[in-house]
Amino acid sequence: MREAGQAIGRAGGQAERRTGRFARLLNALRRIAGMPDYAGYVAHMAGRHPGCPVLSEREFYDQYVNARYGNGASRCC
Amino acid sequence: MEPGSTAIYIWFMGRLVWVGIAIVGAAAWGVIAVGRGETISAAWLVLAAVGTYLVGYRFYSRFLATRVLGLDARRATPAERLNNGRDFVPTGRWVLFGHHFAAIAGAGPLVGPVLAAQFGWLPGTIWIVFGVVLGGAVQDFVILFGSMRRDGKSLGQMAKEEIGPITGMLTMLAILAIMIILLAVLALVVTNALKDSPWGVFSLLCTIPIALGMGFWMKVVRPGKTVEASVVGFALLLAALVAGRYVAGSAALAPLFTHGGVAIAWALMIYGFAASVLPVWLLLAPRDYLSTFMKIGTVVLLAIGILVILPPLRMPAITRFVDGTGPVFAGKLFPFAFITIACGAISGFHALVSSGTTPKMIRSELDARVIGYGGMLMESFVAIMAMCAAAALDPGVYFAINAPLGTLGGTVASAAQKIGTWGFTVSPEQLSGLAGQVGEKTLLGRVGGAPSLAVGMAHIFASATASRLMGLWYHFAIMFEALFILTTLDAGTRVGRFMLQELFGHLWKPLGRTSWYPSTILASLLVVAGWGYFLIQGVLDPLGGINSLWPLFGISNQLLAGVALCVGTTFIIKAGKARYAWVTLAPLAWLLAVTLAAGWQKIFAPDPRLGFLAHARDTAAKIAAGSVDPATGARLIFNDRLDALLAGIFMVTVVALLISSIGEWLAVVRGRKPAVMKETPFVESAYA
Repeated sequence: MREAGQAIGRAGGQAERRTGRFARLLNALRRIAGMPDYAGYVAHMAGRHPGCPVLSEREFYDQYVNARYGNGASRCC
Repeated sequence: MEPGSTAIYIWFMGRLVWVGIAIVGAAAWGVIAVGRGETISAAWLVLAAVGTYLVGYRFYSRFLATRVLGLDARRATPAERLNNGRDFVPTGRWVLFGHHFAAIAGAGPLVGPVLAAQFGWLPGTIWIVFGVVLGGAVQDFVILFGSMRRDGKSLGQMAKEEIGPITGMLTMLAILAIMIILLAVLALVVTNALKDSPWGVFSLLCTIPIALGMGFWMKVVRPGKTVEASVVGFALLLAALVAGRYVAGSAALAPLFTHGGVAIAWALMIYGFAASVLPVWLLLAPRDYLSTFMKIGTVVLLAIGILVILPPLRMPAITRFVDGTGPVFAGKLFPFAFITIACGAISGFHALVSSGTTPKMIRSELDARVIGYGGMLMESFVAIMAMCAAAALDPGVYFAINAPLGTLGGTVASAAQKIGTWGFTVSPEQLSGLAGQVGEKTLLGRVGGAPSLAVGMAHIFASATASRLMGLWYHFAIMFEALFILTTLDAGTRVGRFMLQELFGHLWKPLGRTSWYPSTILASLLVVAGWGYFLIQGVLDPLGGINSLWPLFGISNQLLAGVALCVGTTFIIKAGKARYAWVTLAPLAWLLAVTLAAGWQKIFAPDPRLGFLAHARDTAAKIAAGSVDPATGARLIFNDRLDALLAGIFMVTVVALLISSIGEWLAVVRGRKPAVMKETPFVESAYA
């Protein structure tokens, strides 16, 4: 019983690691493409400005896209 | 082993690896040098390039980082000091490398080498590899460094603060002029690839509703879910590509999507205007995500294709066209090889990206080396791959696609005959067969580089997969190039619009308000009219347009690189390191020689194919003789004079910039002026 439980626990850990790795890869791709990173922003607010109001995902997206493309992003030839 | 001997062992092995890399690179150059006259494999080009990049990165960029610039891990970067979770965000080295690379890479490094292949693959390859190690990568690195030390300021702001207000103003005007020419020439490349091609037009048109749908999804339906929208968008893009084949094959649908150059040019102008006034979330942002993923994916695919197939280079190493008689564009090897290939060796445009978003995201100062210098080496490698793809084509096929229709005559038979007189054999059946294989009626005279690159890529991908997929791969490559050229068009029109609005704001305040619709519409219209004029001029040009516009673009881009190198030299001199100023002065001197020589020849050369003024005189003579109708002739003459004027303005600007920079340098070096830099003061980093 205990062994089986440990095996399940190990498998769960592996799956978690795998999703963790996948999430990291996705996040890296997102940031390479210059997409907004809402989770990163929430973590930043929690770490640096605890207690300050945090934008919703919709508001954050609007602000981010306007800041990044509002002036016309510099794209090379 | 004792600790001391282990250290010596590691040191020794490290040296050994670098000696090995240097020998492999040198050996590859050796094969290239002695293998002339016979067909060699693309493998040697790739090996020579990569070997040179590695040695350049390991030794030269290290010298720049430690001795010249003095990167300091203990100094906090703007991303660390000003971290706001949005644009100032400390970002991991490799993620930022990818981001920076995706921002600097575009159609330029793909198209330039293809056009320059008319001289053979050798001159372009040498320039791409050594130009980047000693010039382009240095420029990107120095500007990235300078902007990072100044809270991510732009090139124009830095030119103004470090050299003077006149230089700053000239830089702004130069950027605007370059933008107009760049957009015109890129739009011309797309127009030539899409004219009379229902498959291409259909799949590119589909990208617009796909992008609108993605924008709507990310804004309204599931806010901020950019990845899922992009994945669905990408799948739809591929579906549009496959559907294009059936559209082209259908007797009812094909005529709807078959258009000539002028119609496509107008469509591009309307699109550019719409994209400039529409909200960014609707069109610009989703297109940018799509084209970034397409770009990275295709570059990786191309690298794999070339490394797996290692195609033989069928183009000669050097062709007879180094004498200036080439059909793709006029002019001798010097200076025209060096302005035709701009991006890939050195590109002034990168200075805008290196002083844009990237410096605000660097986590540690030390990362600037791999991102600035390394990112540009990567772009240069893309240019080498484009050169391989073009040189792997049968030279006869290459010239059939890239020479203007006016030179080739309208039929495959006349084209094959004409190409035969240049010393390359190609049969009419070969030409019509190839067009059929890629799903087009004709490939003749599709100037601009994109179609021949697409044929080269399709050739490589199809031999790695299945030959019946040739048409699909061709249109995949066309769509990929057109997609990110269109992204440059809409982003560039918007940048131009903001610059104009800023200028107008000095004249009358309300015109400077970027949210005021009349001002937005006026400025957008003016920018589109600017590049649209040159685009239409190029489409109607009997010599194919690329012949006159690409050199103008090359000259203007190298001029901007000259500005960036002047600013970079100023950083170095003001930091009290004038003894190292040659790292930017040497490439600057070369660029000036190239740009001024090319500009002079484009204006004053007596050959009507090369010199704008000679072409105007030639046309006037033809009008007098009655072989050109007066209205068309008058238009051609006006355009020639306009192009000559533009080249002249570029040359005068570069000289004026140089003089004002030299004045500043001498004042600092002689101690007449204190070496005050506008760097942000030192703050200790918490990461180090």
